[in-house]
Parts: sequence; structure tokens; C-alpha cells
Amino acid sequence: MKCVLSGMGLIILLLLAACGPRPIDPRLQLGRHPYLPPLHQYLLPPMHVAKVVGWNGAVPTVAPGLKIQAFASGLANPRSLYVLPNGDVLVVETGGPAAPVSRPKELVMNWVEKMAHSRTKPGQRILLFRDTKADGVPDLKTVFLDHLHSPFGVVLVGNDLYVADTDAVVRFPYTPGQTQITTAGTTLCELPGGPIDHHWTKSLTASPDGTKLYAGVGSNSNITENGMQAEIGRASIWEIDRATGAHREYATGLRNPNGLQFEPQTHILWAVINERDELGPDLVPDYLTSIKDGAFYGWPYSYYGQHLDPRVKPQRPDLVAKAIAPDYALSSHVAPLGLVFYGGANLPVRYRGGAFVGEHGSWDRSILNGYKVIFLPFENGQPAGLPEDVVTGFLVDGDKARGRPVGLAVDAAGALLIADDTGNSVWRVSAAD
Amino acid sequence: MPSTNPRSTATLRSLPVHALLVPIPLVCFALTFLTDLTYSFTAAMLWADMSAWLLSIGLIVAVFAVLAGLADFLGDASIRRLRAAWIHLLGNFAALVLAILNALIHTRDAYTSVVPGGLTLSTLVVVILAVTAWNGWMMVHRHAVGILEIRS
Repeated sequence: MKCVLSGMGLIILLLLAACGPRPIDPRLQLGRHPYLPPLHQYLLPPMHVAKVVGWNGAVPTVAPGLKIQAFASGLANPRSLYVLPNGDVLVVETGGPAAPVSRPKELVMNWVEKMAHSRTKPGQRILLFRDTKADGVPDLKTVFLDHLHSPFGVVLVGNDLYVADTDAVVRFPYTPGQTQITTAGTTLCELPGGPIDHHWTKSLTASPDGTKLYAGVGSNSNITENGMQAEIGRASIWEIDRATGAHREYATGLRNPNGLQFEPQTHILWAVINERDELGPDLVPDYLTSIKDGAFYGWPYSYYGQHLDPRVKPQRPDLVAKAIAPDYALSSHVAPLGLVFYGGANLPVRYRGGAFVGEHGSWDRSILNGYKVIFLPFENGQPAGLPEDVVTGFLVDGDKARGRPVGLAVDAAGALLIADDTGNSVWRVSAAD
Repeated sequence: MPSTNPRSTATLRSLPVHALLVPIPLVCFALTFLTDLTYSFTAAMLWADMSAWLLSIGLIVAVFAVLAGLADFLGDASIRRLRAAWIHLLGNFAALVLAILNALIHTRDAYTSVVPGGLTLSTLVVVILAVTAWNGWMMVHRHAVGILEIRS
């Protein structure tokens, strides 16, 4: 009996040890040279999800000089936004395909992750909102495009509207002022989708001259646990020729790239990247980076340049030798999913030319990180200074989520729009009166 | 004639439940050693995934096998007098603790879910189980634990 008790004691001690190191101050991991602690591998998969409580009439908190109001609410998992030239706002309601279960671990994790998301069944469609009075309160709402397949990215080039479903970039003809598209789309280029479709959000943008599209194709696993076959064409940004649909991998080693945007001054492509999990509460920092043509950013073999990940076998020293470090760390597990460069005229002048980043928030860190929209000043096309919190209040009591910010856009009046998939709302941030 | 053999307490229609259940974790953990070993050579995730399932199934059945075995052990003093029973109990308990730890290590992603910690534990468990299974075998076939009657 004594033996049984001491054995149970041993198990409890091991479980406690499994919880891992205490998180550091995220501010140590901002900027060009983040502090990288020694890696820690868990015994129990780290899971600390925020319980979803909803807004119940409350609104997010904004920085001084700004105000916030609900632009739309009662939506079904709005994840990304796009503003058409006539000012119409497209809201993509979307959700990923069901995650397959290849190990007992996934049975548990899928169940826990469900708690961190809205209970609303995601729409698979794009809604259109028109605000004719320009007062931030839309007076027309239509179903713009329906029956899509886990859509995420949207971009308009001329009269061609492109939607990045999880498995294809699809083109639709668009006439300015149109409030609904019923014609069937044409597939421009197929993208890696199922049957395993781990990182399913395909971000999309177009080159400034409109000849090329860029699609973010996230990895099919945390760190190759679904096998290397599942990673073909993934963890990369695809450059797709708009005329032919032919593609090439523009940059690789990017675990989950989202928020693809061209920096307006330099015309260089930028993205926010979700880095790998389960190496500790402070590894690996997510980041914002310019995307260099042909560059390799490490995933899965290494992170932040040439820091090897021991979970990947076989290793590829030839690729690791080429791996480059990204431009700007945002700290660990903040889950940046939205990025927009501010070129509008409504917000205070200090925001002009800088970048807003939507941080969906962590699920595997004992002190939550992210759950806010930050602003990063830019000078000469590069981040200059530290990020500032612009929109907060998504968390309440430290670990309950009212909402979670995802995609960002700037509307025709120059206000910042934020898709909140967990709060099922779109928020509009403008200059205070 | 009533049996004078050491008696099983946890029985199903007078047959020992422990004997029914204990082969399942035994086989699962032995196969885990093989799938882990194969993974260590191939790095093909299929083998590591199979190890994770085998460990989980083995552990779930092991819980019931342990309960039945403990009931037998505590239920008859003549079992507790056997050296083989003590080796069987303590050895299996150690194997169970290591298998739980092994299942947790197998929740990691990719290579380090198996190499080196997982494969090491899988090997240790198989070695321990070889000893405890031998002692369990002796309990039944030499000391007639749980055997109902002997032909006279």
C-alpha cells in the first residue's frame, strides 16, 4: 500500500513538472532581437484556453484619442475583412474543416480548443455591408457570396474578385456597386487543402501592379507530426500568376503566414507568422516580417534563423544553413492573424504609415498573451519603435474572453475595422470626437 | 471437493477477471516497443501514432486489470504469502507508472515523442513485463492461484 501511495505521489510530482517553466514578460520578446529561452518539452500538452463569455453590451477599450463602436454584430464567426473601392465592406464568415484524429491526443485537444471558440456554427460565406451615411453604422447588409469552402482571403483586381477558399483561389466577376454575386466562380489555382488541413486560413493579396496574387499557405501540423508528405507546398507563400494561374513558392519555411499586405511606401510584401507550439510558454515568438523572394524562414527545421527544433527528423542542415531570421518579433503565442498598413486620414496623424496587427491570442500559455490589436510605427518601410496597445479589453478577469480579434481593414473613411470571430462582431475604431 | 488453492476474489462466473484482462495491456505495451523501435529507424509518423494508440488502449484496460489483480492480492492471504505474487504486483505497478509516463511523452509532436525518452520507457516496460509475466505464470501453473479444483 505504501508503495502504491508513493507511486501515486511520484505521478503527481511528474504531472506538476509537466506544467513547464513560468512565462517571462512578453516585452522581452518584442523587436528585432527577441530573447529566446532554452526550449522546454512538456509531459502534458500545454493548454490554457480562455473561456468565452461574450460582450453582453460591453465594448473593447481603445487608446486615447480614439473611439470604438460595433459596426456589425450577431455574425457567424467573422474572420477576415475587405473593403471594396466604393466603400462596401466585405465580412468573411468562415470556419475550418473538421480536424481528423490521428492520435488520442487530438481527441482531447480538439475538445478543449472548441471551448476557446464561439459556439456559433461558422457561416461559409461573405457578407456585404454598405454605410451610405458614412457614420459607421451600415444601412445595407446583403449576402454577397454564399456556399464557399472555408474562405479567408479576398482581393479585388480590376473587375476580378478573388476569394481564397481553403483549397483554391477562385475568381468571380464583379461590377462596382454590386451587392450580390450569384455566378459560379472560376478556379484560378488550387491550393493545398484536405484531407488533413491543419492551418486552413489562406490569406490573399495582389501585387501593386495587379499581375500577381500572393496566397499564404500554412503548415499542415504544429511540427511535422502529420508526416512530411502532408507538408508539400505548405508553410509557404505562393505567388500566383493572375493571367495563367501558374504558381511558384515565393518564400518558404513560414509556419502559418497570414495578413499578407504590401507596404505602401516600399511595395514590399509583409506578413504576420504564427510560430510553433509546445516548446515552452516563450517559444517560439510569433513575428511580423517582410517577405524576401526565395527566402527560407526555418520551419520546420529551425526557428529564428538557425535554432534547431529537435522534434524534426530527418533534419536538413542544407536548408537550415539558408534560414534567415524574421524582421520583428511580436512575443510568443500571440497568434497574429490580421495585418493592415494605415494609409487613411481619419485616425490621428501618428498612426499614418504604421501597421496594425490583430492578435487572436494564446491557447497554450499559463498567462494569456495577445488578445488585442497593436500598432507598430514604421519609418522608411521598417518597424521603428515598440508596439503600442490600440484596442484591448478582449479579456476580462485575466482569463475569460469576450472576443478575439482576427482580420483588420481600413474603411473608406479611414477608420480601422476589426473582425472579432469569438465575439461574432466587427468593431470600428475612429478618431474621438 | 472444495478447492484448497489460493482463491481469486474478483471473478466472473467464478473465473479470475485479472487473468482475462492482463494479456491486453501486456500485448499493447509489447507492440508499443516494436512500433517505437520501427519509428526510431524510419521516422514515419504512422508508427509513432500507433504507439500512442497502443499505449492508451493498454492503459485503459490496465486500470481494470490492476483493480481485479489488487482485489485478488488483498482478498486471500495465501496469495500474499507467495514471493511470485509480490514480484508480479510490484513489477507490474512499476511498469504501469512507466507506461503512464510513456503515454505522456508520446503526446509530444514528432521525433521527440519517441526518441529518446519514449523508446527508452517502452523498452524498460517490456523488460519488466517479461519478469512479471513469468511470475504471474508461476502463480497460476505452479501455485495454482485461482484454479478452482484439482482432479483427484
